[in-house]
Amino acid sequence: MERREPNKRISERALTVWKLYGWISTAILGVIGIGVITLSVLFNWSYWFIVGAAAIPILNAVLFVYIFPTLKWKRWRYEVREEEIELQHGIFIVKRTLVPMVRVQHVDTEQGPILRKYRLATISISTAATVHQIPALDIDEADSLRDSISALARVAKDDV
Amino acid sequence: MSEEKRLHPISAVINFVKALREALIPIVVLIFLNQGERNSFLDYLPFIGMGVFMIIILFLGILKWWRFTYRVEEGELRIEYGLFVKKKRYIPFERIQSLNYSEGIFHRPLKLVKIKVETAGTSNSLESEAELTAITKEEANELNSFISKAKKKIKERIEVDEDGVPIEEESEQEEEVEGKILYKMSAKDLVIMATTSGGAGVVISGLLIFLSQFSEFIPYETVMDEFMDVVQSGILIVAVTVFIVLFFAWLIAVAMTFIRYASFTVKLVDKDLVITRGLLEKKQTTIPLNRIQGIRFNQNLLREPFKYAAVTIESAGGSALEKDSNTIRLLPMIRSSEAPRILEEILPEYEWSTDFTGAPKRSIFRYMFWNLLFISFIIAPVSYFFYPYGLLSLLLYPLLAGLSWLQYKSAGYRLSEDQLTVQFRVFDKQIVYMKKKRIQSLELKETWFQRKGRVATLSATIKSYIAGSVNTVNHLDVKDVEKVMEWYQPETAPRAAKQAEALPEE
Repeated sequence: MERREPNKRISERALTVWKLYGWISTAILGVIGIGVITLSVLFNWSYWFIVGAAAIPILNAVLFVYIFPTLKWKRWRYEVREEEIELQHGIFIVKRTLVPMVRVQHVDTEQGPILRKYRLATISISTAATVHQIPALDIDEADSLRDSISALARVAKDDV
Repeated sequence: MSEEKRLHPISAVINFVKALREALIPIVVLIFLNQGERNSFLDYLPFIGMGVFMIIILFLGILKWWRFTYRVEEGELRIEYGLFVKKKRYIPFERIQSLNYSEGIFHRPLKLVKIKVETAGTSNSLESEAELTAITKEEANELNSFISKAKKKIKERIEVDEDGVPIEEESEQEEEVEGKILYKMSAKDLVIMATTSGGAGVVISGLLIFLSQFSEFIPYETVMDEFMDVVQSGILIVAVTVFIVLFFAWLIAVAMTFIRYASFTVKLVDKDLVITRGLLEKKQTTIPLNRIQGIRFNQNLLREPFKYAAVTIESAGGSALEKDSNTIRLLPMIRSSEAPRILEEILPEYEWSTDFTGAPKRSIFRYMFWNLLFISFIIAPVSYFFYPYGLLSLLLYPLLAGLSWLQYKSAGYRLSEDQLTVQFRVFDKQIVYMKKKRIQSLELKETWFQRKGRVATLSATIKSYIAGSVNTVNHLDVKDVEKVMEWYQPETAPRAAKQAEALPEE
């Protein structure tokens, strides 16, 4: 008996954002790479430096722009039920997390400049001991989710 | 008791000693750096500076004592302190979880106690704590009864509010601190604890570090030469020397254990566990039962063959300031077969069975593979760079294989209606007893490889102090892990799951 997957996916715009993150890190690595190449030409370093400096940004671009974001998005699912929250994520290690509503202490949404541009937000669900994040949700959905979770999360009777 | 009170003046001395202890390393370094000959006044400057520094510290200690006042007012413990900026800290009684007493060497002759005020720890638990460095026992008891009375009053009010009917309060006044003694540690247990704790090893390595600091004074090379002569003169003498060193290290470890854990007693007072311990410095820790999040049995490799275990409490909140209390030792050293009898008296709602469902046979390979792969990353370079002696590191393979086998044998879980018990091993074997309502979140993890092998990893997080403690069992049968997930889902969930089951598979 296979466990049912959580039924909701995160916003498709998350893909765009993650790819953008990938390009940004590639650009940074590219600048460093160019620096290393220049230095190794000037000071006659081993040509392995040049190979490395060229290969790392390319590899980064392939992995973090083309491969990982898609896999990550495909895997990311969540479901907020009346009594619990279930999350599923992870590219190589698939993690499925159950958080009962009664354990939830508070919920936050946050967005940086890039997320804001794409009308996305990240939601953080905190229990007494753990924090669980759902990244890149549509802002309206994130807001309503936050409100409904905090409404559903009752004050736990027991001490923590 | 609403007038302002000061701590006992001895706290000025305690403050001074404490500050001095913190500055000990710089002072020692200073002394060592200034070993050279002294010709002029300037060479003495560091020492003069140090003297001035110490006087300032002493003065600050006195000032700190003078500025620190506490009082009880309007159901709050109000503390005012601060050297230059006056700070006020008001702690409402209902936030106070317990008062922890301890008596240091300064306290005992004067019949004083140090009090730590513990509050329900939230994220800012560091903020809301307070410490009264030295007050008389009478004052401490007065404060304690004051707080417990106030708390009772608040509780009554709440209970009246909720039910409309006041709950009959059996006026069990001033019966306090008596309680029932549940466990007293014997001297034999203490010796066993010291022997198996690896404390002797710590002492030896500490000694080595200490000796290496004196390399300037001890002519190691000469000693070494003589040592070689000794070695040639007979293996017996070497063996005897080693034995003597080990024996003394062991004695020191035993002594240290006695100082920390002598007269270790666990009492149940009302709804609180009270643990007292210590030879020179008496420490008393109070843990309200409802703050206990889980119970952990820890058996290191030395203790396991003798069936001894250390039982610790995972508790929420508490004192983040106290360094050595990261876990509260409930039964520091006990035969694992005897522990449940005592624990049943403390926590009758727990189930102490250790009848586990283990990992499936096909998991052996996984435990072996990952450990051996990991260690290869150490063995390969060591063997290569330190050839041929580096090849000795190959011996790690059988050791790791043995450990993997033990890890496989240890992995297991047990479910009851409201309790999850897991057993696992990194090096030490651990058993963690967790109530369902104390588990903060549960996680099923599977890698691609695990998926192929139909196994999964189970992680349960409970709150422990201000953070969480994650208890992970690797490579259990995926069906078992899913069973635990199902068990963890709140009541209404199984219906939803059944509905989903009824639907045809995609």
